[in-house]
Amino acid sequence: MITLWVALAVGAALFAVGLYGALSQTNMVMIMMGVELMLGAAMVNLVAFWRFLHPQVYAGQMFVLIVMTVMALEAAVGFGVATARFRAKGSVEMEEATELRE
Amino acid sequence: MILAAFALLGPLIATALILILRRGAAGIALLGAGIGALAAVATLVRVAGGERFAASLPGLPTYGLRLTVDPLAAVVSTVVAVVASLVFVYAVGYMESEPGQTRFYADMSFFVAAMQALVLAGDWVLLLAAWEVIGFASYLLIGFWYDRPGVGAAATRAFLTTRAADFGLYLGIFLLVTRSGTTVIADTFGVGGRTATLAGALLLIGAMGKSAQVPFQGWLQDAMAGPTPVSALLHSATLVAAGAYLLIRVSPLLTPDARLMVGIVGGITALIAGITALAQQDVKRCLAASTSSQLGFMFLAVGAGAPVAAVFHLIAHAAIKSALFQGAGIFQHTRGATAFARLGGVGRTHRGIYAGFTVAALALAGVPPLAGFRSKDTIIAATFAAPGAALLAPFALVGTLLTGAYMARALRLLWRGEGADRPVAGRGWMGAGMTVLVAFAATLGSAAPPLSRLLGMTLPESAFPVVAGLLMALLGLLIGWIAPAEWIPERFRLVAETGFRVGDGVLTFIVRPVLALSHRADRFERVLGGSTQSIGRSVAHLAYRADVADARLQAGVQAVGNAGQMLARLSRIFDERVIDGLIAALVRGIRVLDARARALQSGFVSRELVFAVGGAALLVLLLVLFR
Repeated sequence: MITLWVALAVGAALFAVGLYGALSQTNMVMIMMGVELMLGAAMVNLVAFWRFLHPQVYAGQMFVLIVMTVMALEAAVGFGVATARFRAKGSVEMEEATELRE
Repeated sequence: MILAAFALLGPLIATALILILRRGAAGIALLGAGIGALAAVATLVRVAGGERFAASLPGLPTYGLRLTVDPLAAVVSTVVAVVASLVFVYAVGYMESEPGQTRFYADMSFFVAAMQALVLAGDWVLLLAAWEVIGFASYLLIGFWYDRPGVGAAATRAFLTTRAADFGLYLGIFLLVTRSGTTVIADTFGVGGRTATLAGALLLIGAMGKSAQVPFQGWLQDAMAGPTPVSALLHSATLVAAGAYLLIRVSPLLTPDARLMVGIVGGITALIAGITALAQQDVKRCLAASTSSQLGFMFLAVGAGAPVAAVFHLIAHAAIKSALFQGAGIFQHTRGATAFARLGGVGRTHRGIYAGFTVAALALAGVPPLAGFRSKDTIIAATFAAPGAALLAPFALVGTLLTGAYMARALRLLWRGEGADRPVAGRGWMGAGMTVLVAFAATLGSAAPPLSRLLGMTLPESAFPVVAGLLMALLGLLIGWIAPAEWIPERFRLVAETGFRVGDGVLTFIVRPVLALSHRADRFERVLGGSTQSIGRSVAHLAYRADVADARLQAGVQAVGNAGQMLARLSRIFDERVIDGLIAALVRGIRVLDARARALQSGFVSRELVFAVGGAALLVLLLVLFR
């Protein structure tokens, strides 16, 4: 039987991988993938909490659905930005993108 | 009516022209007087033909000013106008070398106009106004030589004496007008009874002042200080005749009592003024006293109930006395004085003038067939026929005697004696004026029948008074010619010479009351002034108080304002130093923070992410630590 803390450990591992990815990569797409991973870890945690602590109410599931929607939207916007950047500059390397400072 | 009005307008317009043009005064005045005389004569002719004129001018509300021309007014107006024009002719010569001709002729013309207004006046208001104006004009003319000693005092005395007597006139007119409710002279005669007696007595006082009757007689002799034409016009024929004219005018009003009073006043004056004339040492003063005495005769006639005799004597006397004065004026120019002592023998060197003077003097004394004979005879006859004959007739007879005496004395003094003559300028003009007047004086006696017809009254005539009067006149002439003045007792003569001044005359009866009155008025005025002043002072005090309060209020307001201003300044300082400083410090701090924060921003996504993660980790750590 899988217990709660196992699920939480998986979530934490996933989060750590996502975090590392987001911080270590310079490619924008890779950073976004890291972010997706972290969100996925959060969803794992949410499902785990629902499943093991409050299985009668569906609020946890609903929350996960919302987060998933947000993820999809974020991915869509992020990739839109990346495409536009690529078209304008010819690269999506974030080390070269210092315009946000202004 | 316009014709009659020219008797008044002629001299009046002449006055205005003289005052405007300031040159050719004599010519203008002569022209004005001539037009006036022609108008008056023409009016008289038409009035004699049965015409009557009346005109009403706007005056006081409900009391219009009226000019009426009845036979009496027409006759007297003619006398005034004719004598005036002859005197003007005379004046051209007399005033030839005098300065101030403009003033002289303007005053004279003005006087003639006012006199005509008085004569033609149909209501009391106009009469009173004209009465005062002639008094004023007389004052101006007596005071013509105002820079000579005593002239101012003489003018003042004349004015004040007549003004004082005018009080009676005012009261009398007031009484008549209030009783009858109208100012038309002829309509006020109906009052009757005691009112009429009282009004008559009051009017008599006014007439006495103007006609120099006792006790107001003194001013007339002093009035001789004026130029001789003035004496010849004002103080013989016109101004002084105004009093007699007034009484003749109101004779229908006079009750027997009032008539007796008038007669007694006239009789006493005829006596006292006659004696005064007898004692005078100056030809003009002698003639002045004689004027008083002759006016006394006119009063006698009115008192005897024969106003027509008074009118007759007024006419005759106007011509005679004017001629006498003109003669005296020529003598005066010859010797440079009017005292008998300086005029001795002047008659022998100027025989023509002396002859004229003599004719006029005999006419005045009442020698037939000259004018004075007829006029005086009618008066004597009237006094004999009057109710108070026993009282009035002796006055008339003795008065006649005195008239003869003083005229003869004057003639003698002018004939005998010695003196040095000097050439006289303007003798032609003077002689012309005098000649015509002497002719009138000689012939006016024949005017009696037409006059009595015109006035509609019969002249009293009877044989005994005529004979008595004639005898008295001749006796008087004889006495006057042969008896020297020394026959009169010394003490009496001195009194007579000063004109019977009762207890210092003018001083006691006129000046002191006038001064007392003015003193009262002054005191009243001072009280009034004091109260006005105290009111003013209290108001000023009040104003001062208000001022002080105002000042305090202002100080308070100012203090409040100052405090407000100080507060405003303080708040401004606070604002500038503290708040502005605070804000500036805030801004600076924010700027610094901002600079720090900006330093954090790199624009690298990864580094931003690191910060975000670091922040999240910090939050988690805090949550864990402080749960």
